[in-house]
Amino acid sequence: MSVSDSTNVGQLAGDEARGDLPAPTATQRMRYSFKISLREPTTLVGILTALLFTYLILVPIISMLMDAGRVQFGDERRIGMDMGQLTLYYLNRTFLSPISSDLFWQPLFNTLSVSAGAITVSVFIGSILAWLVSRTNLLGRRWFATALIVPYMLPAWTFALAWTTLFKNRTVGGQPGWLEGMGFTPPDWLAYGQVPITIILALHYTPFIILLFGSALRRFDSQLEDSARILGAKPRQVAWQIILPLMRPALISAIVLIFAKCLGEFGVAYVLGLPVKFDVLATSLYRNIASRQTGVAAVVAGSIMLIGMISLLIDAYLVKEARRFVTIGSKGSMNRLTDLGKYKLLASGFAGLIFLLSVGMPILTLALSTLMKVPGQFNFSNFTLDYWIGTNLDTVALRTGILLTPDLWNAAWNTLWIVGLASLTSGVLGLLVGYVVVRTPVRPLSIFLRQITFLPYLVPGIAFAAAYLSLFAVQRGPIPALYGTVFILILALIADQMPYASRAGISAMMQLGKEPEEAAQIAGAGWLRRMMTVVIPIQKGSLVTGVLLPFISGIKGLSLFVILAVPSTDVLTTYSLRLVDYHYTQAANAVVLIVAGLAYFGTLAAQKLTKTNLAEGLGG
Amino acid sequence: MPTINLRNVQKNYGGNSANAVSDLDLEIGDGEFMCLLGPSGCGKTTTLRMIAGLENLSDGEIRVGDRVVDSVINGVFVPPEKREMGLVFQSYALWPHLTIERNTDFGLRLRKVPKAEREERVSKVMKALDIEKYRDRFPSQLSGGQQQRVALARMLAVNPGVLLLDEPLSNLDARLRLEMRAELKRIHAEFKTTIVFVTHDQWEAMTLATTIGVMSEGTLQQMGTPDEIYERPANRFVAEFVGNPPINILTMEGKGRSALADRMGQFLAERFPALGVPGSVGIRPEAMRWTTELSEVPATAFSAPLDVTGILPTGGNWILELRSAGDKVFLTTDELPEIGVGAKVNIWVKPKALHVFDTSGKRLDGADALLRTCKA
Repeated sequence: MSVSDSTNVGQLAGDEARGDLPAPTATQRMRYSFKISLREPTTLVGILTALLFTYLILVPIISMLMDAGRVQFGDERRIGMDMGQLTLYYLNRTFLSPISSDLFWQPLFNTLSVSAGAITVSVFIGSILAWLVSRTNLLGRRWFATALIVPYMLPAWTFALAWTTLFKNRTVGGQPGWLEGMGFTPPDWLAYGQVPITIILALHYTPFIILLFGSALRRFDSQLEDSARILGAKPRQVAWQIILPLMRPALISAIVLIFAKCLGEFGVAYVLGLPVKFDVLATSLYRNIASRQTGVAAVVAGSIMLIGMISLLIDAYLVKEARRFVTIGSKGSMNRLTDLGKYKLLASGFAGLIFLLSVGMPILTLALSTLMKVPGQFNFSNFTLDYWIGTNLDTVALRTGILLTPDLWNAAWNTLWIVGLASLTSGVLGLLVGYVVVRTPVRPLSIFLRQITFLPYLVPGIAFAAAYLSLFAVQRGPIPALYGTVFILILALIADQMPYASRAGISAMMQLGKEPEEAAQIAGAGWLRRMMTVVIPIQKGSLVTGVLLPFISGIKGLSLFVILAVPSTDVLTTYSLRLVDYHYTQAANAVVLIVAGLAYFGTLAAQKLTKTNLAEGLGG
Repeated sequence: MPTINLRNVQKNYGGNSANAVSDLDLEIGDGEFMCLLGPSGCGKTTTLRMIAGLENLSDGEIRVGDRVVDSVINGVFVPPEKREMGLVFQSYALWPHLTIERNTDFGLRLRKVPKAEREERVSKVMKALDIEKYRDRFPSQLSGGQQQRVALARMLAVNPGVLLLDEPLSNLDARLRLEMRAELKRIHAEFKTTIVFVTHDQWEAMTLATTIGVMSEGTLQQMGTPDEIYERPANRFVAEFVGNPPINILTMEGKGRSALADRMGQFLAERFPALGVPGSVGIRPEAMRWTTELSEVPATAFSAPLDVTGILPTGGNWILELRSAGDKVFLTTDELPEIGVGAKVNIWVKPKALHVFDTSGKRLDGADALLRTCKA
């Protein structure tokens, strides 16, 4: 072994002597980092989008909260103070006055009891179905996996209309329900209020449980189960001690998500609660806005917002706590199916029954109702296509079939371009936000953008609409009053969709990683060039998803529009609600069917096109 | 081709985290194949990314030739797209939406190279890397090794003066890795670029590099040719990091030193009193010999009796695990050891093959010259 004669050029760790360069001063350091952060438009784009979202999201909410504490226009005399002065009047009126029970406490109680009921039922049915669909050899398992999700693709109040079509009694005017038509008068408790609202919300949100709980079940590593079994655990012990504790985060998430959705749910309660004065928070808010009680409306909206935020924060906390114990399924994760044996048929029957109740019956009822002159009479002469394509009908207004009404086509066109434009904008903004959040060297900017775009998620749509009304109902600075125009709808929709759009954008950018872009940078491509040739083409798929999913949820959305739309800016959902108000049952049902069809086929198309799963777009 | 010069370069990711790179001085000469070697988290990739301009500095300066490309003091930062370097990522980072050809000519298009010339250069580099037949395919249709070649071709097409490689071989299987190593060496010769190569694989560094820089915890431990690094490690970290099986270290300082270290201490004190008491002594496994006959041990050598506790064949070579109370050493040999586990043997090593370190772990100045005075 020979030792080379070369001298040792090495240098040692912790050499105390600094090299020949002097240490930079604080100013020099600042100048350098300033230069780095402004080197590329990323930060500039970030600052601009941050300003935009402050205006579109934060300012309306603040404006609305301020309304709750200031004398509103028209209330000067009653309160005895000038407009705009600070007052506790609205808080007092909403929470403490004799009518506070009607305004707030009873609706709150109703909201909570309806949600609790809906959650209980949907967790019970949903977890059984989730297990059947994802871990057993259920008959027609793959078909059910899609079919049982359909209720989520349809607007919730589709079911409400179907329910009234069946159960409506003589308490309210207009056409009676089928049962009444057959000579049997359903009692009020069955026709309206708590019971039907609970059942409908439960059926509508069961897919959440199936999707979220099911996907957690599918990801669950069978080896964890096997280990317990090898150590001698019986199936019941495995279920209670291993599977359920590990499934808890998914279940909690689904429950809180359902609660947050119930909180803002307007359509179902409006259709089924109104006849028996069964108010939930969302309908109480709507009533206050409709009767120009701006101050009280602000307090109610603020309360809805607060409850929504608290519940989601609790969820975030619980899930974080629970996640500590969760091990992600490893490569060896396998999905073994339980053999249902002799219960196979029974289980399939159960799944089939739920499908029939939550999809088959409502859709069939609605469809038939649009073809029948007198409700509930199944002889051939009673069937007609008049409500779709008839002319010169002997009604007061709406003298043609719905398909021949210009109002419908107006509403359809409005829906298409308002929701379309908003979705397109929020999709693009979402990708931009994702880019800035992941790439900017300015961390506070990244955190701010991430959080502000997520904020609308914590605010139920109806409260958010109230906030928009508060800010944009009158002229402020250079911004004219936007109420009554389509702009307020578009802006509100964009803001409302940002949580989903920005999440999609952020996760897409995270998945992309920075290397493909860095490779282009090394090759000599500047920022704009990299965006056009590398980032956007690669992200094409997620951009399409980021536009399509909000588009579909926008089409069937009601709570945002019901407050912000006026007859000239009607979209399909508000148009059908107007028809309900005028008791044009067949026409209303027809429009709802159109909306449901659009939402359903749109979702299918989106899934096909983007090869994504609805579960991912759920944002659970 | 320019030289790359790093002065007082420092990188801190903010917060209270330790420096990812501290006070690094490095000079990479024209046409060199420089390898940054170190365990993961030692700052080698950060260094590479700072050279490329993908990370900014917390302190210091980087020059390429006469041009300052990055300097905190002078507020200079040349963005990566203007540094005219090439970088091959560990994950290759091919653009999934572009064909192999479009991936390869991306840089040339940016530089507005005329079509004819572009095609010629792309064909040349594709031919050189044997990926011509995949021209119209997309990256996802290629195997890892093929993607690797495309990633290289993409960078070589613009003929960069400096080519940076970030562990480009770590995702390949053993055979492909061997092929690509030869390929890289050929490319280095053919394209005459300066290459900076980051790896944690000492074998890769040894076989490829003209110069190796060993890094640990953000600082440069030693820079030198592969032979220098191996034969004259500047400190214990380098000695222990390079070499497989690792160097045997006998700790000499402190009270509770082992029997073998004690024996070594006596040997050194007797033969080389000028050395004093070193902090530790290292013996490479292949510098150690074994024998059952005490008479075969050279008079000048250090020797000690040990028990064989394990024999591990590695194909043509054997690793012997040897123990005595409190000591365990490894020895490699290329002769079939005709003994069994439990045999008692004598190991011996010539003084000039000893690596002597002071108490701070630094190679003891003058020890090498002293040990060599002893004729074997």
